[in-house]
Amino acid sequence: MTVPYIGHRAAPAGLFFPSGRAWAITPAMESHIATLQPAGQAHELVRLLDRVAGGDRAALSALYERTSAKLFGICARLLGSDADAEDVLQDVYVTVWRKADRFDSAKASPITWLAVIARNKAIDRLRLKRVATAPIDAATNIADDSASAFDLVDRAQEQGRVTACLDELDDRQRAMIRAAFLDGASYPELAEREAVPLGTMKSWIRRGLLSLRKCLER
Amino acid sequence: MSEERDLLAAEYALGLLDGAELAEARALAAADPTFRAEAARWTGQLAPMLDDVAPVTPSAHLWTAIERRLGPVAANDNADVWRRRLNLWRGATAAATALAASLALVVVTRPTPFAPPVARAAPAPMVAMLGDERRDMMLVASWDPASRRLMVVAASDLPPDPTHAHELWMIPADGKPRSLGTMPGPKMRAELPMPMAGQFREGVTLALSVEPMGGSPTGLPTGPVIASGKLERA
Repeated sequence: MTVPYIGHRAAPAGLFFPSGRAWAITPAMESHIATLQPAGQAHELVRLLDRVAGGDRAALSALYERTSAKLFGICARLLGSDADAEDVLQDVYVTVWRKADRFDSAKASPITWLAVIARNKAIDRLRLKRVATAPIDAATNIADDSASAFDLVDRAQEQGRVTACLDELDDRQRAMIRAAFLDGASYPELAEREAVPLGTMKSWIRRGLLSLRKCLER
Repeated sequence: MSEERDLLAAEYALGLLDGAELAEARALAAADPTFRAEAARWTGQLAPMLDDVAPVTPSAHLWTAIERRLGPVAANDNADVWRRRLNLWRGATAAATALAASLALVVVTRPTPFAPPVARAAPAPMVAMLGDERRDMMLVASWDPASRRLMVVAASDLPPDPTHAHELWMIPADGKPRSLGTMPGPKMRAELPMPMAGQFREGVTLALSVEPMGGSPTGLPTGPVIASGKLERA
């Protein structure tokens, strides 16, 4: 179904569409458009991931077009450097290309799955930087942490609860947990940022995590 | 799992650890599936926070770099992939037919205030379903010759791309593409002037190409055609 490009003479210039005489879309049409556009992005992403799992390169390209800005935003925020984030984003899509068959739409929404892969890859990169001072084999002899995204359980009803449980934390605990998860801040960095001793920071966050766990298990 | 261990998994998942603690958690993650699952569970539970991160468009060269890392394209796909595609196409066809039918109905039933007396049958409205080479339907076009109105609606999301435009073309029997303008969004409506309107006949191809912002600089398609289809009687 590719279009043959016959002829090389310039065609008439692009038409101008009189916007004042737009053709009204009826409610009936709107509802059809709504049902088709659908189920939307999530459905479309599931379909694309399915095709990627089958080795369809064009599907990966389409997936990239739809999701790269979101995933790049996550990497850039965590790494604070566009160059690092670009590196990691490449890894993310290469991983998706190889492991798309591990995606299970019953366990996670496609965008969450992708976002967690991006986040985990970025965190891995941060950790590598942190361990760079530690003995080398500690850094090389590691599992691919991003793989944990493949065991991800993220049911929609759980998501609402997480938000509610985070809201139950005190503001400081919530802010620290967010800073760790979204900015990749470590204990020492958070302690420095808040100008408190390391031990104090640890106990704030640990108390927050325990409350969160209790709330989630209720 | 002990509370201490669970907390370590949470701290590891959050990325809080460094130094010896990080090394310990890393070793556990590599050796102990329970620990790994616990960390994954924490990550999954905290994942909704990722929704709050604002998207940032990466630089345009990145996709090329990724493609290079994927290696050469396989010569042929396996039968399984084709079977799946066929199923997708069946679904898309059903959806497209439903939409096309509804559009056609709207076209047919729309009152035409200045309709001429029924001396001769009005030319029939036409529709075209535009898809890519895998036949995934992307757009539906409807053409009402009586009012010379063309409407194009994207049936699935067009790839979002802030650096390019999607330009619609008509390719009549002479094979020369004529621009119909760029898609302003998921829908485009236009009243076409003669003589262009006169060329909208059965069998004419409509195609969508990717062009620089503002449309093709040459008046002919310069980028890849991502969807095309032929006009048929509705």
